Amino acid sequence: MIRFVLRRVLAAIPIGLVVTLGVYALVFAMPGDPLRELAGDKPIPAAVLAAKRAQFHLDDPFIVQYLLSMKDILTGHFGTTFAGADIADQLRLRIPVTLKLTLLANAFQWTLGLFFGIYAGFKRNGWVDRSLLLTTLVLLAVPGLVAYFAAQYLFGVELKWFPVSGVLEGFPRSYLLPALVIGVLGFAGLARLLRTSIVETVNADFVKTARAKGLGEQRVLWRHILPNALLPVITFIGLDLAGMFGGAIITESIFNLPGLGQFMFQAIKLKEGGVVVLLSTLAFISFIVINLLVDVLYGVVDPRVRNV
Amino acid sequence: MTAHKSGHKTGEVLLKVEDLTVEFDTPRGPVRAVDGVSWQVRAGETLAILGESGSGKSVSTQALTGILEMPPGRILKGTAEYRGADLIQMTTKERRRIVGDRITMVFQDSLSALNPVQSVGTQIAECYRVHRGMSKRDALKKAAEMLDQVRIPAAAKRVNDYPHEFSGGMRQRVMLAMALALDPDVLIADEPTTALDVTVQAQILELIAELQAERQMGVVLITHDLGVVSDVADNVVVMYAGHVVERAATAEALEYPVHPYTEGLLGSMPSADLKGQELPTIPGTPPSLLAIPSGCAFRPRCPIAIDDCAAEVPPLLTVGPGRDAACIRRTSIAAKEAV
Repeated sequence: MIRFVLRRVLAAIPIGLVVTLGVYALVFAMPGDPLRELAGDKPIPAAVLAAKRAQFHLDDPFIVQYLLSMKDILTGHFGTTFAGADIADQLRLRIPVTLKLTLLANAFQWTLGLFFGIYAGFKRNGWVDRSLLLTTLVLLAVPGLVAYFAAQYLFGVELKWFPVSGVLEGFPRSYLLPALVIGVLGFAGLARLLRTSIVETVNADFVKTARAKGLGEQRVLWRHILPNALLPVITFIGLDLAGMFGGAIITESIFNLPGLGQFMFQAIKLKEGGVVVLLSTLAFISFIVINLLVDVLYGVVDPRVRNV
Repeated sequence: MTAHKSGHKTGEVLLKVEDLTVEFDTPRGPVRAVDGVSWQVRAGETLAILGESGSGKSVSTQALTGILEMPPGRILKGTAEYRGADLIQMTTKERRRIVGDRITMVFQDSLSALNPVQSVGTQIAECYRVHRGMSKRDALKKAAEMLDQVRIPAAAKRVNDYPHEFSGGMRQRVMLAMALALDPDVLIADEPTTALDVTVQAQILELIAELQAERQMGVVLITHDLGVVSDVADNVVVMYAGHVVERAATAEALEYPVHPYTEGLLGSMPSADLKGQELPTIPGTPPSLLAIPSGCAFRPRCPIAIDDCAAEVPPLLTVGPGRDAACIRRTSIAAKEAV
């Protein structure tokens, strides 16, 4: 097990280098000058501009800039943004915001997905199953952006059930609406996957064996069908969690939540390569960790893939 | 089992199936997979149900044990009495006290028939936990003992292994251990050796015979393999297109088949005498259950069919002592001689 984890972590290092280099190159390749962008319409004195350019190494070749950024990230000296904010402080403030949003959204998504998936799978062709099929079809077809704005307008502006944006009302009130929208949009895929997986497992030979053993229906469902039906779902968790950060960029910007996603959005707009790479690295590390956990979990649930 | 092939067992009748009829709903209308099937098995007896795929041999046992998916399956009529109690009329709850405890089953493909994510020990122990209310520890200990009884080497260690870590033959032993854990009265073995190679097949059949002799258990052996039947069965029921076409002691049926289908099966068995010759076969193919020929289902393939065969389904008639056959051309053993 330790060997497996070590191997995965070691394999992540070269991938991490390629990812950060690629991201940095993309930011570098974007048109426009970051400092002029920051200043807006105001003219900047040449001396200030030169000093700033030197501070952020903007005149150095691409590869030097990249290496300097990586050095900062690896040594923990994150420095300041172009605007002068301390990046370490920013992370301290913003990581909890994103974590709260993601965890709450996942809680909604998993509760709904597991509940409806299991129910529809066990009572297939019942009315819950049929309406789930229709609902999920509709949900999967709605683009996220449309749903976020629609929900914000309907439940925030018109009905005033939730705050429209910002985190002034704290956790969980300020996070409820965005998390609900993410959760409801996301549960559809999960529920359908689980439902299909259960329906397939129900016809497996070992289920017949379990019935021939004289086991009660509940025991057959929970001890024999479900553990097997959950296997593809675990793979889905990994993929889904990986996509969460990408989703946070949009959600946090729309609902004005000061999290990492919003930070990323601002950094990309300002061409702040260092910040973008730092955040990408964070996302990458969490991606590796989550996938490692999922793989370990998979091994726990399915003995056939243990010790691979 | 191999020792006494007389067929005239005198043990108590454990399971008695009478006039069992099972239909399936399909998009193209109902299909009768099992039609008026009757047989019985006594303590210590091995009854073989012989037939090709689709002849209804598995469906009949799955219907009476209640593990057939219903719907689309449906039992139209018939009884299946275990020591006088009809399994078909029972509530599911009552039936579960018998099926899985007094009547157990072994299936063909042990890799898919065992739960892949549970250790074999847990799966065997489940029988003790559910039917005997044992603690987890005691149940696992008994499971290891069972693995030892079916001759799995290092049973105490292997009890924690998972199905995929066993070979095909060993896995079928695990299935047997699970089926025999509660010392059942009747074992229904549904093609237990079909997925195994010939040497392992012989070992498993021998093991079943040994365990049967120890327990005076009735065995219902579902198979399409005449070789298996002649090796181990006391009595044989031959099925064709959902009907029982012949019922006899194995030795007698093999020596002197009455129904033309049984005769054809025997004739198409490879043997040393036929060396160098082409193996005879029964002409044609088994009918689709959606379009069973009128009258005798075997009629289109039968060498001795006459026009009257199309008139009605031939009833199963007693053709000699302890022998039944469903053929209007051969209503007695003497009649066969005459034809």
